[in-house]
Amino acid sequence: MLLVAVIIVYPILYTVWMSLQEWFASSLAAPQFVGLANYHKIALADARFREAVGRTVYFTVVAVGAETLLGLAMALLFNREFWGRGLLRTLAILPMVATPTAIALVFVMMYHPSLGVANYLLSVVGLSPWRWTYSSQTALYALALVDVWQWTPLIMLIALAGLASLPREPYEAAHIDGASTLRAFWHITLPLLRPALVVAVLFRAIDALKTFDIIFVMTQGGPANASETINILLFNQAFSYFNMGYASSMAVALFAVVMGASLILIKVRRATTW
Amino acid sequence: MPARRLTRRAFLATAAAGAAAGPFVFTPARAQGFNWKRFQGKELFLLLTKHPFVDVLEKNIPEFESLSGMKVKWETLPEIQARQKMTVEMTANSGGIDAFFTSLHVEKKRFWKAGWYHPLNQFLQDATLTSPDFDWNDFSPGARAGVTQPDGSISALAAFIDANVLFYRKDLFASKNVTPPKTLAELEPLVQKLHAPPGTYGIVLRGLKNANATQYPSILFPMGGTYLKDGKAALDSKEQVASIDLYSKLLRQYGPPGVVNFNWYECSASFMQGQVAIYMDGVNFASQFEDPAKSKVVGKVGYAMLPSGPGGHFSPIYITGMAVNAQSRNKEASYLFCQWATNKANAVRELMAGVGVGRTSTWDNPEVKAKPKMPADWYAAYQASLKIGRQGLPEIVAVTEYRDIIGVAIQKAIEGAPPAQVLAQAQKEFQDMLNRTEV
Repeated sequence: MLLVAVIIVYPILYTVWMSLQEWFASSLAAPQFVGLANYHKIALADARFREAVGRTVYFTVVAVGAETLLGLAMALLFNREFWGRGLLRTLAILPMVATPTAIALVFVMMYHPSLGVANYLLSVVGLSPWRWTYSSQTALYALALVDVWQWTPLIMLIALAGLASLPREPYEAAHIDGASTLRAFWHITLPLLRPALVVAVLFRAIDALKTFDIIFVMTQGGPANASETINILLFNQAFSYFNMGYASSMAVALFAVVMGASLILIKVRRATTW
Repeated sequence: MPARRLTRRAFLATAAAGAAAGPFVFTPARAQGFNWKRFQGKELFLLLTKHPFVDVLEKNIPEFESLSGMKVKWETLPEIQARQKMTVEMTANSGGIDAFFTSLHVEKKRFWKAGWYHPLNQFLQDATLTSPDFDWNDFSPGARAGVTQPDGSISALAAFIDANVLFYRKDLFASKNVTPPKTLAELEPLVQKLHAPPGTYGIVLRGLKNANATQYPSILFPMGGTYLKDGKAALDSKEQVASIDLYSKLLRQYGPPGVVNFNWYECSASFMQGQVAIYMDGVNFASQFEDPAKSKVVGKVGYAMLPSGPGGHFSPIYITGMAVNAQSRNKEASYLFCQWATNKANAVRELMAGVGVGRTSTWDNPEVKAKPKMPADWYAAYQASLKIGRQGLPEIVAVTEYRDIIGVAIQKAIEGAPPAQVLAQAQKEFQDMLNRTEV
């Protein structure tokens, strides 16, 4: 209990307290109490923060959306019996266990516009080269692709577990009534799988909102600020600009967003029967 | 940690004795003289940064230990992490770091204002603390200015000095029958002539925000631009507009694809792959160009000074140094280490390894001349650039924030936004930031 207080509760309360101050970590001046001024600034005055919030949400929607579709498709595939299924399933899960920073470094090299393998592969299939993380128009998508590559297996795993626990009877009934496979999927599989999928999506969404490592390693929020999410901006404010008070207020805001998503997760889990 | 403190405390007596003896010893008379072993038995802890200079230095630390009889422990971290650790340790007033490697171009004013540098002026004048062959005046004027604060206090001893130079492909230049650009006006037509994509791109410069801010002055200074005018932000001057226009146009029209997010890593990679005709960046990157394991252009690279312009002829320089921590309990002993790390013998070793230093005596050192690691024009371009060296970044507290502001402006310009417009925005942000931090 004491441990929880010391390593969890105290830092949170201290961050909230810091968010009410103006303080530069390297300055000799002591922290100055400014009340809610930092929050006023992030809510109304700071366009860079506002853009970062939009980007964070957009990144999450794009990445998690793609992961859900792909993850579900892969789960359906691996739910069938076929030769080599065990091996392929294991291989499909591998990205999940790799270290994000290492992956990010590898992707930086693969994305290199003139030396990277990504554009080489595009040229092999006859497509023109992309700029990947090297253009403000595509950077966020290129980063989302890394996230999708790494985390689709998680959604697949959860969906696969859900599929394995589905009862057979509804399918038999549907088959006797002459329903097509597609209709059976739409009217039986999806509704029954929904609780598992909702949990998977929310887990991923909470994680994606907090994404830091791949963005920091690959673009540091650039080009310009095209891939600067709340976490990257927060890091810059705190550890590049030493603007501790302001960064704390951003941390609290991000905490509130993630907390909100978590509350939804808990509520949804309670509302659905397994 | 506690164990180290204890040993410290044990030696505190020695330190106190030394301090008490101080006033008596502090006379111009050479009777006492300089002695490396003066702090024998002490233990120092250094915070170093991952850097070519430090790579060479680390190998020789045992030599200092036997010379001084002190024990040296150190930790080497990447630059950004080292700065974070420094900030945490100093804010906590831990006194755990005795001396540190400092990137003055970023930290100079912030750390000085925070009072983290112990001023070295008195130590340098003290003949019992400074070896007679140290020779402060051996450092180039730019190096001395780079470690000296507005109030005259000396914050560090200059270690590595980076100067921006121009790298070019001798083979491509020869085939087009052209020579390195002497002026900015010659630069663009020349780049255009060499530009033959996708095999060869005319030029590469850093595009990535923040990183690009150290290369931008290679155009800005000769264009006549400055960061500040009378203490106010000067990012919207016509010289700035002309500079960002040229910088972004060169990259947009003649740079490799994706250059907008290139850091030095991508720039030097494309240069070493033989894809680029001209590359302007820090002189120290050259050692990889001449490494056959990494580079396809070994022996084909020429080194020249940056082009001059209507505003004059400059090379932006960036200085790192060894500094004594103001919170250290062993300031004088730490100073001995800093002094040793930047003395003539070590400067020669660094230069032999292809790491640039600001000691003029090393330039004509016979040892360096006999076994040059780098081509002769590298040494020539480097020396000449130091002579026209000017601190590459504004000497303000919030250097990193400035670098992000101008960096974003440059990236937007590369992607096609009008220079005047991005600079107007940058000017506003820069002035806001100065109002907040330069009080």
